[in-house]
Amino acid sequence: MAERGAGDRGGFGRGFGRGRGDRGRGDRGRGGRRGGRRDEEEKWVPVTKLGRLVKEGKITSLEQIYLHSLPVKEHQIVDTLLGGRLKDEVMKIMPVQKQTRAGQRTRFKAFVVVGDSDGHVGLGVKCAKEVATAIRGAIILAKLSVVPVRRGFWGNKIGKPHTVPCKVTGKCGSVTVRLVPAPRGAGIVAARVPKKVLQFAGIEDVYTSSRGSTKTLGNFVKATFDCLMKTYGFLTPDLWLETRFSKSPFQEYTDLLAKPTKTILIENTERIEA
Amino acid sequence: MGEVHIGLPGPWAENCREKADHYTTKIGGLPDWPIPEPNIKRELLYCRVCDGRLCLVAQVYAPILSTKLNIEERAIYIFGCPNQDCGKNPDSWRAIRLQKGDQDSEPNLALSNTLPSEKESFPMDGASNWLKDTLLMNDSGKLNDGSVGDKKLDDLARAFSEASALSSCSKKQNRKKRNNSSTRARVGRTTAEETPVPVLPCFYIYFQTNQAHGSIDAVSSFYSSLTLKEDAYAATDTDEEEKWVGETYEYDKALGADTTYLKFKKQMDTYPEQCLRYSYGGIPLLATSNSMEPDKCIHCGSPLVYELQLFSPILYFLQQAANASVACSADGWSWITLIVYTCSRVCTSYLNS
Repeated sequence: MAERGAGDRGGFGRGFGRGRGDRGRGDRGRGGRRGGRRDEEEKWVPVTKLGRLVKEGKITSLEQIYLHSLPVKEHQIVDTLLGGRLKDEVMKIMPVQKQTRAGQRTRFKAFVVVGDSDGHVGLGVKCAKEVATAIRGAIILAKLSVVPVRRGFWGNKIGKPHTVPCKVTGKCGSVTVRLVPAPRGAGIVAARVPKKVLQFAGIEDVYTSSRGSTKTLGNFVKATFDCLMKTYGFLTPDLWLETRFSKSPFQEYTDLLAKPTKTILIENTERIEA
Repeated sequence: MGEVHIGLPGPWAENCREKADHYTTKIGGLPDWPIPEPNIKRELLYCRVCDGRLCLVAQVYAPILSTKLNIEERAIYIFGCPNQDCGKNPDSWRAIRLQKGDQDSEPNLALSNTLPSEKESFPMDGASNWLKDTLLMNDSGKLNDGSVGDKKLDDLARAFSEASALSSCSKKQNRKKRNNSSTRARVGRTTAEETPVPVLPCFYIYFQTNQAHGSIDAVSSFYSSLTLKEDAYAATDTDEEEKWVGETYEYDKALGADTTYLKFKKQMDTYPEQCLRYSYGGIPLLATSNSMEPDKCIHCGSPLVYELQLFSPILYFLQQAANASVACSADGWSWITLIVYTCSRVCTSYLNS
């Protein structure tokens, strides 16, 4: 070990933050780049424990997160798990105004819907002073709100599910949207705005019925999104089978790390006896 | 006073037990005491919950250089318990503040149990006083965890998921006054340790002053995945029946995250790797909206002031390094931020031992 302490102290000042300045500015050895242009896109340092597990690759699909109702607090989680399949689209940018003493202050509100057309959809709404900021912020919020969408059949259970499993209704403000299962080939029978959301969700055929002031399209699109969230909340006879609880990812990997031998055991901890 | 210093991760230490001096700011490793280690009371270095040895989480050189107060020799040490179960208990965390007083006074040797391991020899270099103040974990420290019965949780089955969520621990300062006739800070260069003290992988921190807030928007430009055509959006939607009416300003909200957390995340995204945030007398960056107000200093009664906070990228880096080395690991911890408050009067009263 070199004589670091004695030499360095005389070298630079005692001001805060400079105690180890010259040593600190060496190569970080962690593969990162410093200064100038920071490349934020590739460098994701997870803040939450779930983020750390996703980054390490211990969680491979969003379904594991949904199964334990873990809140997703970092949009990079969804990016990592859904990757390139996720598409986004700006539905509307509209100016909202606020009256101030010095005139009107205009901000832009962006509505963005993201989805992979295969059972995952998210909706983000963001207000900002600039259009670009609003769009980017809305994309991030939409990714944070990605939910699973349950699809089912209208009649015979042949092929892949193509419509909603049952009649569901969602509400936001005064707008209520009702989704009704439709036979194959019916297509999405809806107004232009909710049709986009339903396409991103991966629903192929559905009848819709709406009520209320659908002119407030912000509420309309949120009501449709709320409706899609409810598809997995509806108890149908095929869900009557009793739940076999499994360990949440945190518990699983805590136990994994606590064990001296690193064998991966995924156990079902409880089984409810009839 | 309002200036914010962001602590970014610097180089790794070659050996996690290597010595530095108390002017270094670092994460993990062994604490660099400016006074001989046996002079430090044993209870301060052991966990209150499991009585295991605490390991150093962060050592921050924190002088106060304002017009009224000028304390150059001041350092804060933050300790945590590596035991898996203790990590969620606020009692197992401890922060110690060491500073040098201005006037010399009668030295009192503190009788602490000497630890058999550290036998560093520090040459005596004049009578300076190092006053140690202990910042202890408040018992009602907020830790969002099912085992503590946090009010946010509805059922215990979600304990682990919530433990990873917003947990800010605020530490209150508890001043133990001790007067040491200890050395000036000339740290010896010993390297070998006889008994293994738990130590986390060590890396150094360098500081950057926070840039102006205008850069936050610039950073969000890195997230773009659309090509923007601003004029295209302004003139769409000429259909009569599809006017978007009645929209007003709306606060950010997502399914799993509320406005406070989103603002916190926005600040974190300006420097995604930030480990430490120092701002004496500034405003802490909170991740939840229902954080506690710190109480008063229990020794002098003056209000506590925010000094610094640690962030969870520390845990990420420590866990990355722990995979490769034999040092103890930070796996039991899952907090988002750790906030340290110190006495605003920087009190240095004496303890009658």
